[in-house]
Amino acid sequence: MPYFDHSATTPIHPAVLEKMNVVSASYYGNPSSIHSSGRKSKAIIEEARRNIAAAIDAESSEIIFTGSGSEANNMVLWSLRQADKKHVVSSAIEHPAVLTVLQKLEPLGITYSALPVNNHGRVKPQDLQDAIQPDTGLISIMMVNNEVGSIQPIKALIEIAKSAGIPFHSDTVQTLGKIPISVKDIEADMMSFSAHKFYGPKGVGFLYKRKNTKLKPLIIGGGQETSFRAGTENVPGIAGMGEAVRLVKENLIQRMNHLEKLESIFLDHIQKACPEVIINGCPKHHIPGVVSASFPGQRSDILLAKLDRRSMEVSSGSACGSGSVKPSAVLEAMAIPEDQNVSTLRFSFGRENTESEVIELAKVLGVITNG
Amino acid sequence: MADPIIVGISGGVDSSVTALLLQKQGYKVECVFMKNWEGNDDENCTAEEDYRDALAVCDHLGLPLRSVNFAREYWDNVFEYFIDEYKKGRTPNPDVLCNREVKFKAFLDFALELGAEKIATGHYSRIEKSNGQFKLLKGLDPGKDQSYFLYLLGQDALSKSMFPIGEIEKTNVRKLAQESGLINHAKKDSTGVCFIGEQKFFKDFLKKYIPAQPGIIETVDGQTCGEHDGLMYYTMGQRKGLGIGGGHGDKEAPWFVAEKDLEANTLFVAQGHDHPALYHDQLAADQLHWMGGAVPDNLDGITAKIRYRQTDQKCEIHNLSPDTCGVHFEQPQFAITPGQSIVFYHGDECLGGAIIKSRK
Repeated sequence: MPYFDHSATTPIHPAVLEKMNVVSASYYGNPSSIHSSGRKSKAIIEEARRNIAAAIDAESSEIIFTGSGSEANNMVLWSLRQADKKHVVSSAIEHPAVLTVLQKLEPLGITYSALPVNNHGRVKPQDLQDAIQPDTGLISIMMVNNEVGSIQPIKALIEIAKSAGIPFHSDTVQTLGKIPISVKDIEADMMSFSAHKFYGPKGVGFLYKRKNTKLKPLIIGGGQETSFRAGTENVPGIAGMGEAVRLVKENLIQRMNHLEKLESIFLDHIQKACPEVIINGCPKHHIPGVVSASFPGQRSDILLAKLDRRSMEVSSGSACGSGSVKPSAVLEAMAIPEDQNVSTLRFSFGRENTESEVIELAKVLGVITNG
Repeated sequence: MADPIIVGISGGVDSSVTALLLQKQGYKVECVFMKNWEGNDDENCTAEEDYRDALAVCDHLGLPLRSVNFAREYWDNVFEYFIDEYKKGRTPNPDVLCNREVKFKAFLDFALELGAEKIATGHYSRIEKSNGQFKLLKGLDPGKDQSYFLYLLGQDALSKSMFPIGEIEKTNVRKLAQESGLINHAKKDSTGVCFIGEQKFFKDFLKKYIPAQPGIIETVDGQTCGEHDGLMYYTMGQRKGLGIGGGHGDKEAPWFVAEKDLEANTLFVAQGHDHPALYHDQLAADQLHWMGGAVPDNLDGITAKIRYRQTDQKCEIHNLSPDTCGVHFEQPQFAITPGQSIVFYHGDECLGGAIIKSRK
């Protein structure tokens, strides 16, 4: 069954599964226990932490394990309740795990400004500069948008944050495994990641927190994760994520090349099969393997169902909004007209997709949009 | 590859067995879950739970399930009418409109666009084709017949719809569900208005959309006997929740809503179920619709229901126009309610109906 929805989630990598099976079967000790079983489990999660830190050029102590990318985002944002400065600058195209949280924080006295984006889905650094207030205590702007794949001018944004002395957080959930991520190159103070986006298991993620960045825990109780995240660690999940990150590091160039090739073949074929197709996002600054395409005159839910019937799995807008054909807020923020908006599908390719699969996908799209 | 029958599945036992029966009959079946309401966290909407049940059933039967959102269609074409009617002091029936506007229009169009041969729903009704006409018949289970809710459909919708469970009894529907291992075989039937949930939430719900204007309650003899919270909360013939204290009339007999005066904001009540103020034998109705597309040739011996599950009442239609009619009942009717539908029958055949405007 051809699966083209890797921005929603990815199938688990066999080596990750193998690692998790071994850990699940044998490493049952509680990492907080001081006996041998506990130490063994602790060693497993610390090995994962080292692998992850190494892959993004961070220190082990800068990695905090969480239950998801959403949790990492929540931890950063809810932390503001205990901060002195209560204004946040964010963007109009954030994932709900940021935007909805910001809305929920408003009654608690935490205000935010959502930067607009251009029709490529990118914010202007000057807008960030202008939005900063004396009370701004955090800037949180996603690095790569989940619906259209645009990459923000992240370095310019971080530069502005740095010179204003404001901590910079980025929802980087869509980045790892698709573009190089090094905290030496991208000097954000905090970044959120989710394992299942890069062939790891679901239900586990991590927050990169640069040394000395102020943060408060969201879940308290035990002293796990140097008191930043209470709760007995998801040992097999963390081990699987560690392995998945190690594989990203090892195969990044190869994976990027594969995705770029699939994308260009698909674009080539889809434009021939559906001449009316409109490709959304930024042609220059975007991650490989993600195509947001509108089919004017069509309805995305009908197209989705027709593809599903042919066992071709794609997504309309964000997977988290499934069951709803409301116009995508991200595409609205990009000033995309409504008829184009509601006819948009997202194709996100992955390591197991083949050239013939994406050619077939374009062919099927040609058939279902013309008949 | 034959075109599929697309079943509108709700997570309840009736639509689940609809899918099951069609699958057993050898049709290619696909299911669609409709989301017609955007609930807030604090609303009593069971859509998420219902979706889970629908998913479990489809997974068990090996049928594809997709969701579609008709919240906008529902809001524009059903809900706004519903609120307007309450503002006018009437008691609307959103289900008849939901069937015409959402299930047998938006959903039907959606299914046809997906390449469906027909749609099917879990209504207890039957469709019969004779002489090139599609007739809507009552469901075979007399206690469950739902033709009352379907009288607004036209030939086009009837020609593209199937109601497989209309041919069997509810007890058998549950039995079939259980035998086939459907997890919802014992699930309670939904009651009340779908977007509000149970009756007890009704007042709070309405309050959010219509400002309440408290006023006085008078007996039909003109004696003040209490206060009401807003006329919209009361419906003709209502007995519960009137809060009429002692000292008024016979202590034993209950009070019933007999009339509303919207201008004076007064609610009139009458005591005892047999009070003549609660009975009328004539009504006027508008928004008249005939399922066959024209006035039936023969209106002799017809019956009508003025509420769901009422036994058929003998009546005559007079002053017939394309959009309105008058109805004269053989027996006086209890609590004829403006805003509700009157639905006409010839034996088992549902002919059409109209919205009750006034009574006398």
